[in-house]
Amino acid sequence: MRRLSITAVGVLQAIANGFQYGFDVIDQTGLPSGTVYPALARLERDGLVKSAWENERDAHAEGRPARRYYKLTAHGARALADAAAFYRSMLPAARPRTARG
Amino acid sequence: MLRWCDLVLRAAAPIVPDDIRREWLREWRAEFAYTAARAARLNKPIPVTCLTRALGAIAHAAWLRWDRWRIEMIWQDIKHSMRGLLRKPGFTATVVLTLAIGIGGNAAIFGAVNAVLLRPLPFANPDQLVRVYKTNLAQPNQIGGTVSPPDLVDYRRDNTSFSELAAYAESAYPLTGDGPAEQIPGAQVTGGFFAVMAAAPALGRTITDDDDRPGARDVVVVSHALWARRFGSDPAIVGRQLQINGTSREVVGVMPAGFQFPLQSEVWMPFKFTARDLETQRGAHYINVIARLKPAVSLEAARQDMRRVAARLAGEYPRTNRETSASVHPLREALVGSVRRSMFVLLGAVGLVLLIVCVNIASLVLVRAAGRGRELAVRAAIGAGRASLFRGVLVESALLGVFGGASGLLLAYWATGAIAALDPSVGVPMINQTRLDTTVIAFTLLVSVIAAVVFGTMPAWQATSIADVVSRIREEGGSTTSDPKRQRIRSFLIVAETTLAVVLLVGAGLLGRSFSRLLAVDLGFESASVQTFRVTLPDSPYKQPQQRQDFFDALFARIATHPGVESVGGNNGLPLTRFAYGISTSSVDGRTLSDDEQDALTLQIRLVTPDYFKTMGVAIPRGRAFLPTDRTGAGPVVIVNETAAKRVWKDIDPLGHELRVGTRLGFGGEQAGGTVVGIAADVREFGPTVAAPPTLYLPYAQWPIPYLTVVAKSRGDAASLIEPMRAAVRDLDPDVPIYAVRSMDQLVANAIAQPRLYLLLIASFAGTAMLLAAIGLYGVLAYAVGQRTREIGIRLALGAKRAEVLRMVMTQAGRLAITGIALGLSAAVLASRALRSQLFEIAPTDTLTYVMVGAGLLIVALVASWIPARRAARIDPLAALRHD
Repeated sequence: MRRLSITAVGVLQAIANGFQYGFDVIDQTGLPSGTVYPALARLERDGLVKSAWENERDAHAEGRPARRYYKLTAHGARALADAAAFYRSMLPAARPRTARG
Repeated sequence: MLRWCDLVLRAAAPIVPDDIRREWLREWRAEFAYTAARAARLNKPIPVTCLTRALGAIAHAAWLRWDRWRIEMIWQDIKHSMRGLLRKPGFTATVVLTLAIGIGGNAAIFGAVNAVLLRPLPFANPDQLVRVYKTNLAQPNQIGGTVSPPDLVDYRRDNTSFSELAAYAESAYPLTGDGPAEQIPGAQVTGGFFAVMAAAPALGRTITDDDDRPGARDVVVVSHALWARRFGSDPAIVGRQLQINGTSREVVGVMPAGFQFPLQSEVWMPFKFTARDLETQRGAHYINVIARLKPAVSLEAARQDMRRVAARLAGEYPRTNRETSASVHPLREALVGSVRRSMFVLLGAVGLVLLIVCVNIASLVLVRAAGRGRELAVRAAIGAGRASLFRGVLVESALLGVFGGASGLLLAYWATGAIAALDPSVGVPMINQTRLDTTVIAFTLLVSVIAAVVFGTMPAWQATSIADVVSRIREEGGSTTSDPKRQRIRSFLIVAETTLAVVLLVGAGLLGRSFSRLLAVDLGFESASVQTFRVTLPDSPYKQPQQRQDFFDALFARIATHPGVESVGGNNGLPLTRFAYGISTSSVDGRTLSDDEQDALTLQIRLVTPDYFKTMGVAIPRGRAFLPTDRTGAGPVVIVNETAAKRVWKDIDPLGHELRVGTRLGFGGEQAGGTVVGIAADVREFGPTVAAPPTLYLPYAQWPIPYLTVVAKSRGDAASLIEPMRAAVRDLDPDVPIYAVRSMDQLVANAIAQPRLYLLLIASFAGTAMLLAAIGLYGVLAYAVGQRTREIGIRLALGAKRAEVLRMVMTQAGRLAITGIALGLSAAVLASRALRSQLFEIAPTDTLTYVMVGAGLLIVALVASWIPARRAARIDPLAALRHD
């Protein structure tokens, strides 16, 4: 499988952190909606996330329609772990600080 | 604010695919509603960012639509194309088969080229491996030239270019004891050999410099194959004693599977030189030298280095090394340099076939696209753009490419298997390593993609041009002739195809004529019903010449009594076995020749028994054959062949004259030679293309060496003698193996195996090319006639004769064919030069071949056009006018 893009990693990580609704992902990642939504659609098509509708009653209690939320599939969780490890490995390694002066 | 957002959503909604549009709208609206609800709870206005977020919904919608389209469109095109292809099974099968032939042939030949010329040799860092040759100063850089033992020592000590340099000499040795006697191919190697090859043993150790010393224990290293086959992969083999060539040798190591150098070797033994050898043998050239370049040393630097070493030796030992130099060549070149050119010619020829295939497919696709004219026109008329029409045709080409490539790969799989199973006698080293590996498959895929894209899309692009479609609508409506532009392209394709076919046919024709000349050569002997095998007597108990003599006397007596045997004889080396044993003449009629005269008069020495000439059907036009009385003690006698007689004595009758050569053989160690008692007919020892060398026959009974090839003429089938002869040897001594069991007919077939294979391949390419050209011509003409039905009908209705219609179509075909043939013959004059080295007694510009090919192809073209022409002439004018 192709390695996930930075955008996809950001979106998946936001969902993994509990920000499951589209606009919450946007707020969390700082990415524009024109990026986040196609990314979500693509991740869903590829089976990395699954979507569902929140409980109607809870939503109506707040006086608003039910929202769609996204959650990671097992496959998505694995892909996120792999991709995160890869991107982390590209960062400069942390070095022990040397005492100066 | 919320209203604006909803407006954007509603504007974008139609882009979203129908089935998910409601959900999409619901999701977006819920988000905005949530944002608004949260803002209300916090008593804040709805943030402006809502609007920019709404714009993102457009991107979301577009993405969803695109994602759907991508899958739908291609899938639909594939379904549509598949249906179209299945509706025209004839067209589909022709294209797929044509492609399969082109691609399969290319993959197979490329597989062979890859195995022989491209794939790295199976040794560590093979690019560093070189052969070193002792050469003549006249051709200092030639490939080939063996080295003498003292030269070897000096090469090894004085060079600065090689990390190691070693010698080897190939041979075969009888292996006896533990199991049936068997003849094992192997090599004697000097201590540095395994270091040069950078090969480590699988078990035990390899041979080192210590093993070379005189007096060292006799040891042997065995191949993995021999270890597995004869000793059941016994891990305790190291330390065991083997009887090889009558000597007991200790096994010190087993090489890993796959290590094979010299090719086919199964045992390696130390090459020992005595101090006396190194003193006296500087003129004895019989060992092969192999070396490994130091990492930073270039080939050119090594060449200069060795030339320097050779020049010093030439100055120091003028008697033996005068006028000599040394050359260095990569091992690969040394192994396969001689076949490189023919391999590339083959690749070129099969490439031409592929080109013809492509041209053929282009014209077929063009015809098909034209046949789909109405469909394309209708689709264009209802608004399909060129891109969409083009995509349809492209998908069809790609499908054909995939099917053709897959069938081609299947064909290649079969063909590479057949190539790998070729008899080694075709003389192409490593051709048996041919297989369908990833390189070959990648090459095949590349070729099929290029073929499909270039030759499928060009006509597709042309067929879908809007102007073309418009003109086609008009045409379908009632025009009488086909579009001249498209006709021109098809004509061009036919001419191109014919041109390429002519080039291949000329090549095949030249090779065919050359081959028939080859078959007509008189080899100087009769091969029919002659069976042969070779016997090498081990050193013990056959150390004494008399013991060897007794063995062979008894053997011939036994074989001769067999009822199926007409006669039996022996020779130390048969014709057509690459056996060469040339010795310079030292004296003629008692006069010792000068050095220059000696060098100019090298004779091939053959030791034969009395009945050898009779058995092989070699004529003795003057004098007599050897007699059983020509033995030790009797006066030494010789027989010379006609070429030798002419060389040595010019016009004088040589009978009764005397000649000696510079080698010592036999009992007393005296110089070989004697009085000429007969003249034998010339025998082409080295194959049909090489003139008979001057040859000196000596009676075996006067010079009994330890090996002979036995030849026996059968009263029936040659093979019927194999078992009786094997039994005769076994009865005399079960420890003496027989090997190289072959009939003379086999040897003759082997001698011409390479040109025959070459001819077979080129001829099959040429045949395919001709067939394809004929199919192409037929297809285009049949289509043109179909297009002109109305025109021809009108002509007939107005009184044209049917013969005239026939002539009109045939003339069109003839014009195309003649143009192609003329161009092809001119191209062949240039291309056939590549075949020069393969041709025997035929010039690359042989007129007869060119005329025959031209005439033959014209006939084929006319036959191919006859069917559509007749169809045109039979058109019913009334039906034609109603046509479409």
